[in-house]
Amino acid sequence: MALRTAALVCILVLASLASEPALAHTGSISGGLLGGFTHPLFGPDHIAAMVAVGLWGAFLGPPAIWLLPIVFPLVMAVGGVLGILGVPLPDVERAIAGSAIVLGLAVALAQRTPLWFAASLVGFFAIFHGHAHGAELPAGSDAVAFSVGFVVATGLLHLCGIAFGLLARWPWGALAVRALGGVIAVAGVVFLLNAP
Amino acid sequence: MTRVRLALVVVFGLIAEPASAHDIVPGVGGFAGGVLHALLVPTHVMALLGLGLLAGRLSNGRLIAEVAFAAALMGGLGAIALGTGETPAPLVLPGVSALCGALVAGALPVPSPLVWLMAIVTGVAVGLDSPPDAISIREAYLMMAGVWVGAVLMLLVIVEGATRLTRPWLLIGLRVLGSWIAASAILVLALTLSR
Repeated sequence: MALRTAALVCILVLASLASEPALAHTGSISGGLLGGFTHPLFGPDHIAAMVAVGLWGAFLGPPAIWLLPIVFPLVMAVGGVLGILGVPLPDVERAIAGSAIVLGLAVALAQRTPLWFAASLVGFFAIFHGHAHGAELPAGSDAVAFSVGFVVATGLLHLCGIAFGLLARWPWGALAVRALGGVIAVAGVVFLLNAP
Repeated sequence: MTRVRLALVVVFGLIAEPASAHDIVPGVGGFAGGVLHALLVPTHVMALLGLGLLAGRLSNGRLIAEVAFAAALMGGLGAIALGTGETPAPLVLPGVSALCGALVAGALPVPSPLVWLMAIVTGVAVGLDSPPDAISIREAYLMMAGVWVGAVLMLLVIVEGATRLTRPWLLIGLRVLGSWIAASAILVLALTLSR
């Protein structure tokens, strides 16, 4: 018991020694793996659109269920490069809000478009999402850790959408998925109205 | 007691500093430091993962890819031992990772010679990007031997692991992982070039 208490004290001491000062936009927390991971999670418009990608993929079924989440990060990286290099894109915030509207509506209306069209649409919006993330990259970020965290968070958001979208195999589940698509589309309208 | 040990391991994991080229694990040098260097430098891990997943998909010629990597890595380390200065290896590694990741994600048929070529490029780049941080010649050679053993073993494990993924959902997971590697590598490349 004494050993356990000593170990717990050790853990507390080590955790205290390891803790970083809370600084805004600087340091390893904002620039490292955690910074990259949380970057997409702090934007509700990004979250809505990425969940919608997963939902739509699940709704369309194979191969869209895995093809859309593969296309998105690849094209998003291209958009990220444009943002990092400072190449301007028009109306990025409106396009991101538009992605939530369009993809949400696609789910809500149960649109079964051809795969090439779905992939192209998702890829088109991915460029704007990537651009926004690339342009907002904090200075002094650890490139590798930030990039990995950022891409993994995006993938996990898709996974959340896919997991929920898999409910569409049951009639009540399909209704729930379509309802969530509707909520995302409405949220997209709010994002659009509030876009700078 | 096991839980306490586990908690300690987690805490030590959380307080670990990010991997850097010359001081991968403070206090761990020599052969062990070299092995850890190969296993913990993020750009190296990304490149080995991409190459390993790609080589694991080859129906034949996997062994050639592995041997080519091992030989090229030895060449890269040899060049470092001969005093090669700064090289473009830090840019080549994410470039190769992006290509390998994209090919894994695309799941298109890849000619074996292309994979062998990428194994050679990756091996040389990993070697050139692993300069030993040692205070003696002997320790430097031990570190380089550790890098070689660690990187080759890691590649073998990834390749052999990838060949065992045969279920459809695992193959889909492999493609998703490939897209993540490619996307991360593209971003790393852009961030490195922009500075």
